[in-house]
Amino acid sequence: MLSWDIAVNRAINNAVPKVYKVLREHPYIEELAKRLREAKLEVLNNLEKYVEETLQSVKNNGGNAYYVHDEKEAQEIVGKIVGKGKIVVMGKSMVAYELGIRKYLESLGNEVWETDLGEFLIQQANEPPSHIIAPAIHMTKESVGKLLKEKLGGVDENSKVEDMVAVVRKFLRDKFVKADVGITGANAIAADTGSVLLVENEGNIRFTTVAPQIHIAIAGVEKILPTLADAMIEPLVQSAYAGLYPPTYVNLTSGPSSTADIEHNRVRPAHGPKEFHLILVDNGRVKANKDNVLREALLCIRCGRCHFHCPIYRAIGNIWGDPPYSGPMGAMWSYIVKGDTKPAMYCAHSGNCKEVCPMRINIPRVLEHIKNLGLHSQGKDKLDYK
Amino acid sequence: MYHVNNLSEIGKILVDNLNRYYMPFPVDKKVCSGWAKDLHRGGDTIIYTSCMYQIEPAVGMFLKFLPSISSFKVLMPLARLVKPSKSQLDRAYKILNNIVEALEKSGIKPGYLYEEEPYSGAILLEMGFLEEFGEYAKKIVSLFREKGVKKIITVDPHTHNALTRYQEFVKHDLEIVNYLELVNYTKKVEGEFTIHDSCLYSRFLGLREKYRGLIEKSGIKLVEDEMITGKDTSSCCGGPLGPVDLKVSEKIAENRAKDLEKLSKRLLVVCPICYVTLSPHFKGEIMDIAEVIF
Ligand code: SF4
Repeated sequence: MLSWDIAVNRAINNAVPKVYKVLREHPYIEELAKRLREAKLEVLNNLEKYVEETLQSVKNNGGNAYYVHDEKEAQEIVGKIVGKGKIVVMGKSMVAYELGIRKYLESLGNEVWETDLGEFLIQQANEPPSHIIAPAIHMTKESVGKLLKEKLGGVDENSKVEDMVAVVRKFLRDKFVKADVGITGANAIAADTGSVLLVENEGNIRFTTVAPQIHIAIAGVEKILPTLADAMIEPLVQSAYAGLYPPTYVNLTSGPSSTADIEHNRVRPAHGPKEFHLILVDNGRVKANKDNVLREALLCIRCGRCHFHCPIYRAIGNIWGDPPYSGPMGAMWSYIVKGDTKPAMYCAHSGNCKEVCPMRINIPRVLEHIKNLGLHSQGKDKLDYK
Repeated sequence: MYHVNNLSEIGKILVDNLNRYYMPFPVDKKVCSGWAKDLHRGGDTIIYTSCMYQIEPAVGMFLKFLPSISSFKVLMPLARLVKPSKSQLDRAYKILNNIVEALEKSGIKPGYLYEEEPYSGAILLEMGFLEEFGEYAKKIVSLFREKGVKKIITVDPHTHNALTRYQEFVKHDLEIVNYLELVNYTKKVEGEFTIHDSCLYSRFLGLREKYRGLIEKSGIKLVEDEMITGKDTSSCCGGPLGPVDLKVSEKIAENRAKDLEKLSKRLLVVCPICYVTLSPHFKGEIMDIAEVIF
């Protein structure tokens, strides 16, 4: 058996039953998912208004907020904030990957570390991620041991997983303490308060948002929700459908750190970051939102559940889609952000994805639409399916 | 590792064939209609095969040539000569006759269009040629109108799916119904089978419980596993990817067959494409339900 087959079968057999169990034990999750879908649609129906409101709310909190159209604009702004010769820690952000932020910052002469364990492993291996929430699932435990032996030492192919994690933990703790800038994505952003929600298990995102003096959050405009109450739902739904419920940490950030301990007068900063920056990203999303079928893809909350039910992903997953986007959601998102219609061509409309998607996205229909666009010269590849 | 075929070229060839022969490949129409003996020609209720059971066993042969589109073009005119083997055709014909018999036992005497029966256009829809599919749907709807057809009984998931989607492209009042909605089992069967669901029947067309009901009433015990035959977990056979990338299609079939083998060495399918795609990989016996419970 190929190593991908072994790795993906292990992951499927672990993940799929876990999600069923979570949904059985916490029946309110499905209700929350419905509410989340409605709230996200409300934003997509009035996107400009909510982008404006979000930018203003972040500024009201003493943060900085930007709206960028593409990769180049995003890199420019991040580059200006970070500068050169700095240590940067990154919480797992697909949008940062999409925009080439790490590579760009490295090219400016910064030391940049991925701090999510999976992301750290693929950074070390110099490989693209293979799953949106478990980027290193193509690696077996044995291959991780081998990689860490080469890069950090202290463990090998036969070590226990706990010992492998400990080696990385020790290495990265030092980086967190020394880091000048922390960069994260966002699971949800509340338009009315400018708050950013992040869900995680490792504690690396919490470190990234609090330890360095500067926190930058980069997120697609589709992550906006009307209110903080709506935004708070997202981490619960996302983690449940990822089979990781309850999540170990949910982080809420509204501007730079603050205190009102003296005369109840709120001043900034306190112990956490002095600066907070939110970068809202278009990069194809606004155009997709104008297309009634494609818009559905913008509802995706990146839970990664569709991957584990998809026969194509299971067969060829780690090379299907434009990194960091993979699986059924990745076939949609490769088109949205890169104009690449090729991954969609691989949809065999098995339909499992639409059955399990918490946002009820009819993924095969979206992919059928992208196929049609691609076959009629709308895609980047212009029919060159050779 | 994977290599997508030149789909736009393939699309052009399919459209060209459909315009000429009402079939995606230039098939001898007698191959399609040879199963029907004494069905009346036409009428307002017809059984509609779209030549799927009949021709599907020979399609694999074309797929092998798709990666080099030029040899595919050369091969097309020869396609009339390339037809399923006698035993493959006998099997397909038996299935179709069993279905008709089951319909008749339920009091339905369908007509049939014989060599005038057109293909449904499913392959265009499934490959993503929506515009071409829409145009073709218009033609087929008017052809059915000309023939006075009002009710169409489909016998496979791909055709049923394609027909139920015509309305998105052309207004019509044809009634589309699948044979599984009309028949009862006609044979008592004993023993254990596992089942490979059709993706389209199961997750798009709401027929999963219909055929499972028939199977279980017939006396068959289905061997199931929530991770392999559940509604959300039972995977595709890989067949629809054949024209796109045969290697990936085969890899999916191999994965699927391996999972199913764990449950039983006897496998039921409900779709001619699943049968053909899984057959080379499944170590055991595969049968269409129409060979078993009717
Ligand atoms: S498409 Fe649906 S199931 Fe797939 S990652 Fe997005 S929200 Fe999850």
